[in-house]
Amino acid sequence: MPAWRRRLRPYLLSVPAVLLIIGILYAFFYGVYYTVLDYAATNPSPQFVGLDNYRSVLGDQLFWRSAGTTLLYAVAATGLETVLGVAIALLLNRSTLIGKTFERLLILPLMIAPVIAGVIWKLMFNPQFGVLNHVLGLGSTFDWLSKDRALASTILVDVWIYTPFVAILVLAGIRSLPKEPFEASDVDGASWFYMFRRLMLPMMWPYILVAVIFRFMDCLKVFDAVYVLTAGGPGVTTTTLQIGAFEDSITNLNYSRGSTYMFLLWIIVFITARYLVSVLGKAQRRAAGSGA
Amino acid sequence: MNEFTRSESGLHVPKKKVTRRSVLAAMGGAATVPMLYGCGVGTGGGGGEEGSANGAGEVTGSFDWKALQGESIKILQTPHPYQQAFQPLLKEFTELTGIEVQADLVAEADYFTKLNTELAGKTGAHDVFMTGAYFIWQYGPPGWMEDLTPWIENSAATNPDYDFEDIYEGLRTSTRWDFEKGSELGTGGQWAIPWGFETNVVAYNKKEFDARGIALPDTFDDFIQLATDLTDRSQNRYGVAFRGSKSWATIHPGFMTQFTREGAKDYTAEGTTYTAAMNSEKAVDFTKKWVDLARNAGPTSWTTYDYPQCTGDLGNGNAMMVYDADSATYPKQKAGASAQAGNLAWYPGPAGPDGSYATNLWTWSLAMNAASKKKQAAWMFIQWATGKDAMNKATASTFADPVRASVFDGSFKQTLGGFPGYLETFEKVIDSTKIQFTPQTKFFETTEDWAVALQDIYSGADAKSRLDELAEANTTKINA
Repeated sequence: MPAWRRRLRPYLLSVPAVLLIIGILYAFFYGVYYTVLDYAATNPSPQFVGLDNYRSVLGDQLFWRSAGTTLLYAVAATGLETVLGVAIALLLNRSTLIGKTFERLLILPLMIAPVIAGVIWKLMFNPQFGVLNHVLGLGSTFDWLSKDRALASTILVDVWIYTPFVAILVLAGIRSLPKEPFEASDVDGASWFYMFRRLMLPMMWPYILVAVIFRFMDCLKVFDAVYVLTAGGPGVTTTTLQIGAFEDSITNLNYSRGSTYMFLLWIIVFITARYLVSVLGKAQRRAAGSGA
Repeated sequence: MNEFTRSESGLHVPKKKVTRRSVLAAMGGAATVPMLYGCGVGTGGGGGEEGSANGAGEVTGSFDWKALQGESIKILQTPHPYQQAFQPLLKEFTELTGIEVQADLVAEADYFTKLNTELAGKTGAHDVFMTGAYFIWQYGPPGWMEDLTPWIENSAATNPDYDFEDIYEGLRTSTRWDFEKGSELGTGGQWAIPWGFETNVVAYNKKEFDARGIALPDTFDDFIQLATDLTDRSQNRYGVAFRGSKSWATIHPGFMTQFTREGAKDYTAEGTTYTAAMNSEKAVDFTKKWVDLARNAGPTSWTTYDYPQCTGDLGNGNAMMVYDADSATYPKQKAGASAQAGNLAWYPGPAGPDGSYATNLWTWSLAMNAASKKKQAAWMFIQWATGKDAMNKATASTFADPVRASVFDGSFKQTLGGFPGYLETFEKVIDSTKIQFTPQTKFFETTEDWAVALQDIYSGADAKSRLDELAEANTTKINA
């Protein structure tokens, strides 16, 4: 092979990735550009308005309420999924036939699109003909999607869909841990709980954190299942930042305001991601034994 | 319409050291980027230019169904009894004209999201689309819809038997507007042709009513009492289903109909200034009653209910009445369509204190995409679908209510033998059936906010203060 072709190959191989990055950045900066215009369907000749959209969105009570709802949703869903995911991973970390079968079944919720999961759960939640009230003996008067319960119900659906994701990730981590420290502890007569707390958990921590990062960032962007279940209602009880942006952009056709909503969400996700990744780095170094 | 073009000044990003960790962190944020861009549409798609030619004037000579043989068009529809009634007839249109039709379907819950995005993008991907009259108020001002008046008036483009005046006048009026604040409907261009329409009335379980000897209530208070008496949660049975989801569509059927009958108005106009009136004494009183009705005699999960859930509960026997579109409950009476098929009947619902049967109107109409590259073929399809022959054939299926007087009085009436009260109800309300909303370009935003207010009141908020808050916000929005 001629030398020039050998030198050219890495550049050629990187072309698709470069094009993808250019495509993403173009769209991103175009979106940012919208935030300083007053572009809407009713105003097809947009003018530069500076930071008016930011003032409008940040001065809107609904934005802050949506931000609070989004944060509460993300913390609760990620927390529950992490605890349940780790517990399930520990249960599955045994080579029994039941464990292996369950491991394969566990992945099923992940194979359903969130919007379809939302539709399925909406039917199950229905007090008139839903299976949940029937099975749990709640009659036809218990409303899962009432103002007091809607957010918890949407979190429940998120937990149902994504707990297997956390469990599978953590299970892979557990299975990659070295066996020697556990065998040595066993010889010394350490209890299971002691080994879990002192050995397994510190070594598993990086895997758990990766799952937390993925789930937390995903939860900050939650839209589909919540929109199908409640459309952000009752009232604005389950209106997340994404739903607010959707309503501004698609329902009200105010593209600039919707872009501003999304850009502010992007800033939140970006800052959160950077923080979590730095925490992950520390955890990895600690697990590798290179100090805190 | 001005094309929206990108600024030529480049965007400069300062150089910085890139590490694997910073890339991973950035990926978290980058995941939201497509959605960020998704907020902006219409970034310079084709078509829809300022003053793009209507095209009707270019059609000359005598009308010929075969003039565009070999052409093809795409239409965007939502699954609906109207669409289902016409689906088998599409091949007849192709035989008549030689024009192939590709019909794309999007579920109603997502239909207008898809339509908004496509029209704003100005791609002209679909030449014809189904739309409701209210949407003209939103799609018309940006120039996304074609004014069909020049097509109707051009005898070379429109078949001589079309007879536009055969379509009920109230429906023709509802699809015309000049987009000026303070203007009534019926002014300006003809932005869509009515195709099927709905009056909002009460369907009830006649078998149950007859068995108990129940008389149909004439006043709203009696209606509330009856619905409450019929509710027995232990038997999974409740009095009346009506919409309650967080959507503008919650307001327009039963709520707006009875709201109007009770003498309330959405806005009052002084010249070009509107004042929201959904917090007037009459409006507050009615809203309290409506929400109490939902709480005491409506579906348990009212805030998630759209028309499929309402009509589903009627068909299953869970709901004793439904206050919604007549054509939404009509299919449930068809043999085999529901558990209660054959047991249903219709009546206008309670009259207002002054005897008013004012009824809000919904019409599914066919409109032409202003960005379409095949406008003549699109008009061929619209005039065929809204014409007498096709509509007469569609009524053999579940096409209710046809918009043409000749079709309604002819073939449609013959299908109503097994639908007790349907025709009498229609005849009772038709003269007072029209769009009861004040036309305005912020309709969807302000009307969805209205639905949110209903949900808040349902969840315990004080009706008066919540409606005051809504009225203040809507007055500001609508006059902005």
